[in-house]
Amino acid sequence: METALRRVPTSETLDQAADLSAPVLSVDGLAVRFDGQSIDLIDGISFALRPGETLCLVGESGCGKSLTALAVMGLLPTPPARIVGGRATFQEHDLLAMPARDLADLRGDRIAMIFQEPMTSLNPAFRIGDQIAESVMRHKGVSYREARYAALAMLRRVRIPAAEKRLDAYPHQLSGGMRQRVMIAMALVNHPDLLIADEPTTALDVTIQAQILALIAELQREAGMAMILVTHDLGVVAEVADRVAVMYAGRFVETGPVEAIFADPQHPYTLGLIGSLPSLGRRESRLATIRGSVPPPERLPPGCRFSTRCPFADTRCQNETPPLVAVGDMGHHVACFKAPLENHVAERAA
Amino acid sequence: MNADVLVEAHNLVKHFGGERRLPFGRTPTIHAVDGVSLSIRRGETFAIVGESGCGKSTLARLLLCLIAPTSGSVMFDGREVTAESPQALRGLRRDMQIIFQDPYSSLNPRMTVGELVAEPLKVHGIASGRDLDDRVAAVLRRVGLRPEYAARYPHEFSGGQRQRIGIARALACGPRFVVGDEPVSALDVSIRAQIINLLEDLKAELGLTLALVAHDLALIRHTSDRVAVMYLGEIVELASRDALFEMPRHPYTRTLLAAIPVPVPGRHHHRAVLEGDPPSPAAPPPGCRFHTRCPFVEDICVSERPVLRDAGAGHSVACHLADRLPPPEREAAGFVAAPARRERLALFTAAQEAASRNGH
Repeated sequence: METALRRVPTSETLDQAADLSAPVLSVDGLAVRFDGQSIDLIDGISFALRPGETLCLVGESGCGKSLTALAVMGLLPTPPARIVGGRATFQEHDLLAMPARDLADLRGDRIAMIFQEPMTSLNPAFRIGDQIAESVMRHKGVSYREARYAALAMLRRVRIPAAEKRLDAYPHQLSGGMRQRVMIAMALVNHPDLLIADEPTTALDVTIQAQILALIAELQREAGMAMILVTHDLGVVAEVADRVAVMYAGRFVETGPVEAIFADPQHPYTLGLIGSLPSLGRRESRLATIRGSVPPPERLPPGCRFSTRCPFADTRCQNETPPLVAVGDMGHHVACFKAPLENHVAERAA
Repeated sequence: MNADVLVEAHNLVKHFGGERRLPFGRTPTIHAVDGVSLSIRRGETFAIVGESGCGKSTLARLLLCLIAPTSGSVMFDGREVTAESPQALRGLRRDMQIIFQDPYSSLNPRMTVGELVAEPLKVHGIASGRDLDDRVAAVLRRVGLRPEYAARYPHEFSGGQRQRIGIARALACGPRFVVGDEPVSALDVSIRAQIINLLEDLKAELGLTLALVAHDLALIRHTSDRVAVMYLGEIVELASRDALFEMPRHPYTRTLLAAIPVPVPGRHHHRAVLEGDPPSPAAPPPGCRFHTRCPFVEDICVSERPVLRDAGAGHSVACHLADRLPPPEREAAGFVAAPARRERLALFTAAQEAASRNGH
């Protein structure tokens, strides 16, 4: 099977998209705080997503990428986590202020989410056909027969072999890759406008991962669905992203078009991430490493949160928060006082 | 036996299940490892790669005699360890150690770090008293942990530090052969690189022979000397690292390599995606086990089991069609990092090294 995994964005289509289509989702200054903590764990996250666009949130465990996704979906565990600032607008709806009932109407219909572990979304006690059909009946108000037919069509769409038979299977009777596909079928059965995917392929083998990514890309191309993909795998990012946001300790440290992030990385944390990846080509050198690990929230510095691990940090970095500023004209932004590095630290390397 | 070889496996087979259950019938037999032969040379890093359920972890445990094979044998430094008594085997454990995948479940939470690292030294009667404490401190320092940490418990440490503790424990008694079973796959990317670099340093310094079980092909390309690719309990291809990655012979190896997402935007516009799931190891297909998913399948593949045979230059492959397959699709000319990225990465690495020299 030959599958084009990425749409090829030319500058022309990008410009058109920028001109013609209003964002599906725009998030502005989102802040999340845990009860009893004195700092915002998610601190001033802003982004906008247009139809058909894929934004990848990249970062290590605990950086807040999943928390951001959950906050947008209205799925934060409150308490202890609370949204303390910002706005999230989805097609004119104010996601953070709308009543829980209305939000429940949107979720599973216009906005869908898939998780790393399919068993968190599948009920082990119900047949998968009924679980998918339930979502259709809930949002489309159709009969069980029609809903079941939609479920069958969707299972075929995600290439579940012998789909008629699998309708009556229980989740435990399926392999991991199949469960993941069932979960995707359930998320996409109502053709949402926005898909939030939290590490959807991390637990899968590479051959199954390739199948799932190809499938998502195909469905996205057809329906113009926008996607937020949360991942730590830069290989997956390079493959599916239009734009990338690199997150560290609850803040965006660098955002931009995927080409710019990989060809022209600016933030020391982005550099560390890229440098610490082994390559599939001939070995060039030892892997770059980032010293230490992410400090616990109560020990985060007042300034740049990466300054405790950054080899270039000075007292200004520790005390003052660098704003996201534009580099170039492609929508590439970086939050670092030392960017571009070659202008600020050249003498040190000499 | 060749003097260069440290560990050698002959026709190893391990089946699980197949027990008699009343009133009739048996539990299904899982063919975890089915007729694997290999030899690991002194001082090399030998990688075993494959997808979940291919038997790579079972093979690693067989090589260390942590589980007994259904049939076949393992030689370590000229001794047939599969024929040794339990007491003799215990003595041999000094020489053969394992680093586990999950640093959260492989360390006893009720033991301090010092006790954890001292345990193998005590078991083998290598050290006691003051000498023991000194040795524990030395090993901890060697893996990049402060000796004061010996009094703390595992839960006080991050994943990367715990993996360092696991490595300290494996190295405490001075083994010659160490198996890493997915040693970094539970760790974050930046921590992963720290642990990989540490393992490489330790290997060079202590003259270790390393067997690395992993599913991350980029990691294997970076660290190993030779690679064995497993599919459903069998080795389908075995070659030097560069030969395997640049001239893969087995169709499975090719699809596996093609499936890896490469961190280069725009690289994979089109590619072949392997359809379907691997068959169950409880009922492996007849003939070539890959024939149900192989794009090149012919009649012979369904009826006859291919054997792993030498295809020249130490490159072995188990495929009937190996000589007739079209050459693998070449990746476009090697990726050249943009100058800005290269320059900044060099600055970053230099500053990082300077900082760690001053910092510790």
